[in-house]
Amino acid sequence: MTIDNGAGPDAAKAPAVMESDRTVVHRGVRSMHRQRRLLRIGILALIVLYVLLSVLPFYFLFVRTFVSTKDSTDLWLWIPPAEQVNMNANVGNLSVYLNLDIGDLKEQWDIPPTEYLDPRWNLNRVSEEYGVPEQTIRDTLRPHGRFNGWIVLLGNSDFWTATLRTILVAGLGIIGINVLGIMTGTGLAGLRHRFHRLIYATFLLEIVIPPFLILLPQFLLVNKIQALIPGASQPGLVRDVSQLAVIVGLYIKGGALSTMIFTSSIGAIPRELEEAAEIDGASRWQYIRHVLLPLMKVPIAGLTVIMLPFFWNDFLQPFVYLDSGNTTLQPLIQSFTGQYTTNFRIVYTGVFVSILPLVVIYFLFRKWFISGVLEGAVKG
Amino acid sequence: MPSTQQISYGDGAPPKVKRRLSARQRKRNRQDILLVAPQLALFVFLVLVPLIVALPLLFSDMSRFGDTQVNYIGFDNFTRLFTDPGIASDYWSGLLKTVRFTILNYAMVFAFGLTLALLMYEVGFRGGLFTMIYLPWMISGLAVGFIAVMLFSESSGTVNLLLEKIGLIDKPFSIKSDTGTTVILPLLVGWKAAGFNMAIFLAGLMSIPKDTIEAATVDGASYSQRLTRVYFPQMVPSFVIATIFALVGSFKVFDELVAMGGLSQNDAAEFLSILFFRWGFTENKLALAMTLAVITFVPLTIISIGLQRFQRRATTYHD
Repeated sequence: MTIDNGAGPDAAKAPAVMESDRTVVHRGVRSMHRQRRLLRIGILALIVLYVLLSVLPFYFLFVRTFVSTKDSTDLWLWIPPAEQVNMNANVGNLSVYLNLDIGDLKEQWDIPPTEYLDPRWNLNRVSEEYGVPEQTIRDTLRPHGRFNGWIVLLGNSDFWTATLRTILVAGLGIIGINVLGIMTGTGLAGLRHRFHRLIYATFLLEIVIPPFLILLPQFLLVNKIQALIPGASQPGLVRDVSQLAVIVGLYIKGGALSTMIFTSSIGAIPRELEEAAEIDGASRWQYIRHVLLPLMKVPIAGLTVIMLPFFWNDFLQPFVYLDSGNTTLQPLIQSFTGQYTTNFRIVYTGVFVSILPLVVIYFLFRKWFISGVLEGAVKG
Repeated sequence: MPSTQQISYGDGAPPKVKRRLSARQRKRNRQDILLVAPQLALFVFLVLVPLIVALPLLFSDMSRFGDTQVNYIGFDNFTRLFTDPGIASDYWSGLLKTVRFTILNYAMVFAFGLTLALLMYEVGFRGGLFTMIYLPWMISGLAVGFIAVMLFSESSGTVNLLLEKIGLIDKPFSIKSDTGTTVILPLLVGWKAAGFNMAIFLAGLMSIPKDTIEAATVDGASYSQRLTRVYFPQMVPSFVIATIFALVGSFKVFDELVAMGGLSQNDAAEFLSILFFRWGFTENKLALAMTLAVITFVPLTIISIGLQRFQRRATTYHD
């Protein structure tokens, strides 16, 4: 267009036409740019709106940890005002609706444990009969007006032991699946021999085996084995440890994902590296420890960020394999629904608190999590 | 394309020529077996042996884990599932609920995952926003179920109360009704998986060569034309993966339903997975429960493999 080889009368006109053309194009481009920018801002706003909406359930869950069952039929967009202590309320009702232990109350109010605290008495009567100052009663009950869910949950020793067990099995699961996965990957890398390929294919079978199909026979088998362990049939440390070991075993048994990740990433290490280590007199173990392991940071992180949520949030397997007194967080919270039927805010507090550790880890290591999921998605 | 080539050292060892292995190689193979042994033993014992144990039990009348006297009854379990009046009605209603949920859940994959991926693609990848969208993936299924109850319980659900206050609805949703469960649960499961599905579709979008899109834009293709002619045909692998995940995931949904009372009193939450669990662990119908699992999951597995095959062929043709 810029090369004008026209001649004659048209040649004189051409520059003028071109100029006006250019300004029109220019203006068009500018308005297109503006339109595009507006569109981009609009799209960004939409995504931000989605993010805000998507955070709302977390926020509502947090608010509901403060809302008593009595108040729950009202809409609360923020933590409700603290309930005042009603001295006419009777002790029995309070212990039911706030899940307070009457023994604890007696201790806090300096009433001898041998005394019978009639659940039908109201607080005024308790104050008169036992000479407990009204202020003491008010002081012990006031925090429950707002923080009952949190106080009961954090004061529940089952909650803490279940948290510790969850950390234990999830932690051992992560360590185990990485250690065993790297061993498997090292053993299979290169798929040199027929038996290598056979074992590799065996692990890949996991993809086509529905977990529900093997759940029942698996349970059958594991029970048979556990019956052989002396002491595992009665309640006690042996039983608890063996049950937790089953959960860890189920986590670290390996399968398609860990085998594919480690076999391919170890196979991709240049062979010269191992040969060089060999020439330097390193044993295979020394090679694995000092050369291979440091190269495994990315696959380890990748597998960990994928598996950790599954281990931490696992409900079905602990629910099936662990006794109720020896359980992890998810089944415990499920059992809360039967235990705190009249006080659902404890359940919500439990749900909220059980989410927190993983969310904190997620935000701390968000780069790993995001690159893990994106790479996983690319590879399919 | 073949993945084994990427993994192998590529030393070009001819596989067909039988050579005597050197002592060094034999030692190496022994070491390899030792390295693989621990995990392989666990895997075989916890996955393969149960599978082998399961097969004969499908044709037995085993009812409880402790059963010592087990009779083989041929295909009775399979026929009972569809004909025995007490069992078939539970099975069909469970299947109906599960299928309804699966369809809606599959729709949510696109409503959340694909939409967000397309929006994000237009403005370029934003790590911060992605982090927030992916966040619900960290929540357990059980917690998703409890959140569903918290937001949509008939008398105290926060969303119900909010919508009533604004005046958008007269009657609250009920999580315990059939329609409630089938509409609300996919919504929340879709919310949980939004980031996950978005990652799948985003990966597909980002793999499209830039010049193809530019060429289409220069040729004056509208956005919808670009979607149907350029984006979607090149995102087939993403669609297949998302479909497989949604299909298998929907039939496996369990924890959410337990939190919604599936094991206690909520009939609306009695999907096949809940039925399977009740039959197997509490109602002494062990063999029947395993039959249910086979009937339900084997077809799903076959469909998944078929889809993957289809995708592989489709992509090879494109190449």
